[in-house]
Amino acid sequence: MHRIGEAVDGNVSGYAVIWCPDFRLQAVVRRVNWREDPVALVDDQQRQSIVLARNVAASREGVDVAMKTVQALARCPALRVERPSASGELAAGRCLLETALGWVPGVEETEPGLLTLDLSTQVEEAWLESGRRIRGRLYDVGFEVAVGVGETPSLARIAALAAWQKGGSLWHLHRDNRIELLDGLPLTAAETGEDLNERLRLWGIETLGAFARLQREAVASRLGEEGVKLWLRLTGRLRRPLKLARLEQLFEEHHDFDYEVCDRESLLFVLNRFIKGLSSRVEQTGRAVIAVHLLISYADGGCYAKRLSLPEPLLDEMVLFRLVSSHLEALEMKAAVEAVRLRFEPSDPVASQRQLFGAGLRNRFQFEDTMKRLRRLVGTDRVGAIRSLDSHLPGVFQLVSLPDEIEEVREHCGPPTIGLVLRRYATAIQARVMLQGERPLQIHSPRVSGIIVNASGPWRSEGDWWHRGREWMRSEWDVEVMKQGLFRLVECRGEWEVEGYYE
Amino acid sequence: MRMKNSEKVALDKVVALQSLRQQLGEELGQKITSGAELLDEQQRRESRWSSGREDWDASLGGGWAQGQLTELIAPEVSTGSGLVMAQLLARARQERRYVMLLDVGQGFSMEGFSANDLETLLWVGCASAKEAIEALDVVSRDENFFLFLIDLRDSEPSDWRSVRASQWYRVLGQLRQRESVALLFARQAVTAVAKQRLELKERLSWESLEGEREVLKASIRFQRSQVVAPECKRRPWEDCRGEILAVG
Repeated sequence: MHRIGEAVDGNVSGYAVIWCPDFRLQAVVRRVNWREDPVALVDDQQRQSIVLARNVAASREGVDVAMKTVQALARCPALRVERPSASGELAAGRCLLETALGWVPGVEETEPGLLTLDLSTQVEEAWLESGRRIRGRLYDVGFEVAVGVGETPSLARIAALAAWQKGGSLWHLHRDNRIELLDGLPLTAAETGEDLNERLRLWGIETLGAFARLQREAVASRLGEEGVKLWLRLTGRLRRPLKLARLEQLFEEHHDFDYEVCDRESLLFVLNRFIKGLSSRVEQTGRAVIAVHLLISYADGGCYAKRLSLPEPLLDEMVLFRLVSSHLEALEMKAAVEAVRLRFEPSDPVASQRQLFGAGLRNRFQFEDTMKRLRRLVGTDRVGAIRSLDSHLPGVFQLVSLPDEIEEVREHCGPPTIGLVLRRYATAIQARVMLQGERPLQIHSPRVSGIIVNASGPWRSEGDWWHRGREWMRSEWDVEVMKQGLFRLVECRGEWEVEGYYE
Repeated sequence: MRMKNSEKVALDKVVALQSLRQQLGEELGQKITSGAELLDEQQRRESRWSSGREDWDASLGGGWAQGQLTELIAPEVSTGSGLVMAQLLARARQERRYVMLLDVGQGFSMEGFSANDLETLLWVGCASAKEAIEALDVVSRDENFFLFLIDLRDSEPSDWRSVRASQWYRVLGQLRQRESVALLFARQAVTAVAKQRLELKERLSWESLEGEREVLKASIRFQRSQVVAPECKRRPWEDCRGEILAVG
């Protein structure tokens, strides 16, 4: 039996929260890379433009949240004013999530800029080191984050807030000294309401640790549901299941062109950049790409969407670019392009390995590419591996895909070990045949005419009489026409045809 | 009959050349090789893909030429080109290699082949010779395929004459790069790009319709013929090759 709070496999259950403060601002600052300059994010949708968020450099110059933009600029003339960017926030959110997935597979996007991770898949000793590493990796891609680790998602969140407030990078609310650590945290670290904070302050409770030491019944009788909820959070008794992020919807890039694009080169340039970025992001999660989703928005309001599937998961940028570019080459763009979106569908990389002495397709991607080009050239119904149909009607076969692997030759199966090979004419040739009794004696046709010196037949067959309109009946004759070769004649309801010749 | 003056001069030249060669050999004490012999030696060194039959390999110079285009001319019906195709497919299947058949006229009939041998065959039905060569241009770049069969037996000369020489050369370049084998089945010479041209002149008899395949294959005789561009026959003096001596 395993204890509550301990995962089945022996790993202690724990959670981490990665918090990116002022996420909207960071999404913009990260994109334009103005970390050192004073930057403010403003809301100019209101009657008067106000500051929504500012970075540390701007704060040092006296710029504050909710300040009028004009006032902020007066205080800090060098202030860079930015507007919120939905696409920037989307990209930043994706980047955060993908990086977090490099730590553990169970990640919840709790809110924009705040992720909750289930650490039960990792041993406890590695949590802090992994947390530091992930923070460093996020810093490299332009994020300043705080990481909190705790027994529950709520405690991990409190730890992350505490880490940021205390100016640290990582906090671990360990179960052995949780109360002592909470003693050092103000009530605001638990994001409680102003009313509750005020009442607790009046009672002389200043820290979260002091509140956690209270009796549950006393809290319930005096503070009601809100108080109990906070008490459960702080004592690690409030647990909730995580809504894990789906990896399939992650690897996506979007670009709105500043001007309408009419040529493919510009589009390919952007797509190439997307492919490089997305490939490395997919690689970080240990996955490969199984399909590419392309979405093009046109200036006339229309759009084009296509899922380009790959024969097997891969991460080769060149192959992915060739897949997209060859598709774009064949695409007729009816209007100028306004925006483009590319999404990679991740999959587990190929785990199979061919047998040492196995034979088959050497390069499946090249094969798929060849097939596509061949089908475009000759038509989809004229390329394939020939297989017999369940019918006695001569000359019919079905086309299937070529097998990926070639097995060893089995015992010889089926005919023929005798005779010659028949080749049919593209269309059977009408013929006039002179008979002696039932046997053909002479033939006249555009392809072959002459005296029949040898004949063998008739070989009668019929079929599909149970399908109205599709029934067939024929008599075959193998003949040798003097000095011309061996042919097959077919008689059907009194009409004669030269079906083909023997080679 | 009296020997013509020009023939007498040519014979004198050959005798003089042979004596010179003997003299050089004696003085230098090294092996003396002529240019023609060098070319023959190089041809012998070229990669060959065994046909799977010793008798055929002997007449083909070791097998089918790799990285080259070989024309198999069957001027008339029932000369055994179908048996050659069957042997090629069986051999490729045995070696677990993929084969592509570019079938102009789409007259391929699976009845004459073993189901086993068709397992690795990719059939491409082409409407014209031009389309087939365009398809060959695409597929010859693919490293998955080793053997390419181009069936122009039912194609009219006006059809394959529309194929530009540059297309043939491009395909040849790709075949060389991949060391693939390509066989062109036709009723007459199609392109000067072909390295080897083999003819099947003997028509098979009525009895072959029920004859053993192996016996029938053994009866096939390949006749080598000179590769000359079908569009423009060479003038007589272009065939004259000077003897270049090389000291090896």
